[in-house]
Amino acid sequence: MDIAAFLKFLEGSGLANRIRESLFLFPLIEATHVIGLALVFGTIAIIDLRLLGVASTGRPFHRMASDILKWTWAAFALTAITGTLMFITNASVYFHNFFFRTKMLLLVLTGINMLVFELTAGRTIHHWDTAAAAPRTGKAVAVVSLAMWISIIFMGRLIGFTTTRAAVVTPSPTSVDFDDFLQGTPSAPAVPPPSK
Amino acid sequence: MKQFAEWLSTTFLSVFIQNHNSWVIPTIQSVHIVGIGVVLGSALMISLRILEFAGMDQTLRQTADRFSPWLTGGLCVLLATGILMIIGEPVRELVTFSFWLKMFFVAISTLIAAIFQITLRKHERRWEETLVHSSSIKGLAILTFLIWACIIVLGRLIAYDHVWGSWSPATKA
Repeated sequence: MDIAAFLKFLEGSGLANRIRESLFLFPLIEATHVIGLALVFGTIAIIDLRLLGVASTGRPFHRMASDILKWTWAAFALTAITGTLMFITNASVYFHNFFFRTKMLLLVLTGINMLVFELTAGRTIHHWDTAAAAPRTGKAVAVVSLAMWISIIFMGRLIGFTTTRAAVVTPSPTSVDFDDFLQGTPSAPAVPPPSK
Repeated sequence: MKQFAEWLSTTFLSVFIQNHNSWVIPTIQSVHIVGIGVVLGSALMISLRILEFAGMDQTLRQTADRFSPWLTGGLCVLLATGILMIIGEPVRELVTFSFWLKMFFVAISTLIAAIFQITLRKHERRWEETLVHSSSIKGLAILTFLIWACIIVLGRLIAYDHVWGSWSPATKA
């Protein structure tokens, strides 16, 4: 199956139809996505600021990581699930959207960034666990992480501005021109407003 | 309110934002979301500490001292970007049910946060020794976090105010 057919398959799935046809589902899924990403960014920022020596400098790093990162992963799962649900409602549009692609690339890069941390400063945590800040590689990873997550938020918001939400197809009057609107007849087809 | 919104949309700053809306509005909204992340992350850590799910190597006071300045700072960013969004799109924001319900919840959660800050400083020992262990305070911590989550949902629903049907002033216009 090629990618275009796969995207069409996703769009045609029962779940995608269900979300598109509902008045509430897409907005609620999108709102849940915002809650999830706010928690992902908020908790990652706490860890990054600890690495940089900006905040929580008095707490052992391993303690904070074990306290916080499980919530980050739970929130990430929520964000990934809600993101996938939004994606399937209009898969071929999102797939070709520049900001969607950039966002996905950035997500992969944050994963690589995390791997870099595990292979460098993450290996010597016992040396700097109670120090005010991480060694230079750890700080670099933190700066890159903050920059990428903020960029991911910007990209996500721009996706909403550059794609039109999939509308339930309603048969629209074939020849509506501007004069018809001025005279108030016939009425415009009911299309949900673009998601901003 | 509709008249006020329409007047606001003719002011200089509003016209500027409208004329550059291809990048200004997404940028303001994105900064707003970054602020939401800071506030919700901070609220989560304070709630988790009260619920004894995180930060148990810290006292409640230490946890509050670490996160409440960020919560307050984040709220200031949200207020500033929120006001800019209202100025940029007054009718879209002010003539919605979601916006006003959101403001109601913002008032409640800000009040709870302020009362928590003040009473924690005044009665530190009582908070650390008894209050933090009481189930009503734990319940309140969960409730407060849920209110923050509701605020986020309502914020997003401003763009979809038609979901409220006849409650939405936007659908009557």
